[in-house]
Amino acid sequence: MPSRSAATWEAPPPLPDGHYVSGRVYRDERMFAEERERIFKKVWHFVCHESEVAEAFDFRTVERADTPLIVVRGGDGRVRAFVNVCSHRGARVAMEPGGNARSFTCFYHHWTYDTEGACVSMPRPEGYRGTPVRKENMGLREVRTEVKWGFVFVNLDDDCAPLDRFLDGALDIFDRVLPDADLEVFHYHRAEIDANWKAYQETIVDLYHEFMHVILRDTQMPAASMDDREMRTYANGHVTIAGLKADYEKYEGWRRRDHSTCLPGLDPDDARFAPLFPAQTFIARGTVMRVDTVQPITPHKCLIESRGLGLKGESPEDRAMRIDHHNEYWGPFGRNVTEDAFAAEGCELSFGKGAAPHGIIARDEDGRGQCDSGLRGFWAEWSRRMGRPASHPTND
Amino acid sequence: MSSGDNAVRELIYRSCRCLDTHDFDGYIALCAPAFRYRIVVYSPELRKEMIWLNHDRDGLAALLAAVPRHLARLGSLQRNATVYAIERDGNGGPARAVSAFSVFDIDNEGRPSVFAVGHYHDAVDEGGARPLLVARDVRLASRDLGIGSHVPI
Ligand code: FES
Ligand SMILES: [Fe+2]
Repeated sequence: MPSRSAATWEAPPPLPDGHYVSGRVYRDERMFAEERERIFKKVWHFVCHESEVAEAFDFRTVERADTPLIVVRGGDGRVRAFVNVCSHRGARVAMEPGGNARSFTCFYHHWTYDTEGACVSMPRPEGYRGTPVRKENMGLREVRTEVKWGFVFVNLDDDCAPLDRFLDGALDIFDRVLPDADLEVFHYHRAEIDANWKAYQETIVDLYHEFMHVILRDTQMPAASMDDREMRTYANGHVTIAGLKADYEKYEGWRRRDHSTCLPGLDPDDARFAPLFPAQTFIARGTVMRVDTVQPITPHKCLIESRGLGLKGESPEDRAMRIDHHNEYWGPFGRNVTEDAFAAEGCELSFGKGAAPHGIIARDEDGRGQCDSGLRGFWAEWSRRMGRPASHPTND
Repeated sequence: MSSGDNAVRELIYRSCRCLDTHDFDGYIALCAPAFRYRIVVYSPELRKEMIWLNHDRDGLAALLAAVPRHLARLGSLQRNATVYAIERDGNGGPARAVSAFSVFDIDNEGRPSVFAVGHYHDAVDEGGARPLLVARDVRLASRDLGIGSHVPI
């Protein structure tokens, strides 16, 4: 029977739970709101690299779980994060994406906060005489912040477990790169795309779609045995992929990557991935690193933030080489990322309006080759946190 | 307005048209052997200038030649440029031209949206039979390019 009827098309695939995903998870408004409360307000989020706030009083503004944040290095050298909302009447305090400021003065009524979050002045405070409104108890809301190997993470849940417990060792896959290398961000871009955030994150965990990318067909798939690949899943839904290799010179116009310029512990042809739950990905390709985050905007839109990292203090020639290597694959003109975004938007065209009842994640190659075990790990964690199995998330 | 200025203008407009129509050989033919192409973007987040693409003539030719093999964005990009200024140093150096551009993304259903906005900073060699691009810095003012593009700006 070559084609299918409505009944067999709509019916759950004859697979175990966890080996397929209901299309509803990509479009349901209620689940989307729940994801914010149950996932994004509870997990550790990578927000920026220390090199973005290298000097005292450097700051960056970001947003996680729809909550605007200021990440700032205080005069004491410590990196802290605060909700970027004025204690007075809720205006945004710091408006710039980044900068250097010894204090933040809210534009609206000029309440001023220092880089440790204290409210240090408010004009004409005598007007609050007889009320509890005093600058001493009107500081910014501080957010749990930890810095690991130069990467700044925050958690909006004051009662969360420490970062290391959340990571469960998933970032160890990069071996010496993260502990040993003094990294620096040289590339940053944002891209709003028309897709559910999970559909984009899945493109990173899904190895089976390698066929879609010319560069992976040319440089990665023939470079090493499918059996040498190792996909691992961790507590909290993280995934790592090791054992990938790439012969970059196999793509017309590209050159071989040189051993002497690799990141510590990596060979030029090594590629390692760590997609962390829910949507933050660390990738190393021999000479260069990329770190992505995806933020939900609506069920049908998400914001990808992408960074490229090289070695701090390296020669201009090495930096230029690393930027070239970054841009070959990544960035808005890279050969890879634009295709992944296209894939996510292509799935949105059917999932977004309910035309696709299910997605199948049933490939079992024992964590090797193009196994779907990473996708199953992601969805198992999503299901656990949401209290809804992704295969049948609603009762109706 | 000199005839030299007209020729420089025509070169810049032709370069847009070649990329719009995917006439990549035509684009490369407008470039001198020493051509250098860059996309330069200032990041207020990093407070640094970034390079999003950097190629010599051969590198750009290889990149463009590979475009048809790739999964492509749907529809087309249409460039719209206006040459603002053309300057010469008077010592026979390349002419310098600054042009504002906008690039529209026309999707498969014909719906237009703005893809990118910025300026071309071009250096043009006028020593030969026809002017040739020796350098193009594409300075993007917009920084969110959605899914991005395999074809440069
Ligand atoms: S809202 Fe910020 S000072 Fe009034
Ligand atoms: Fe991909």
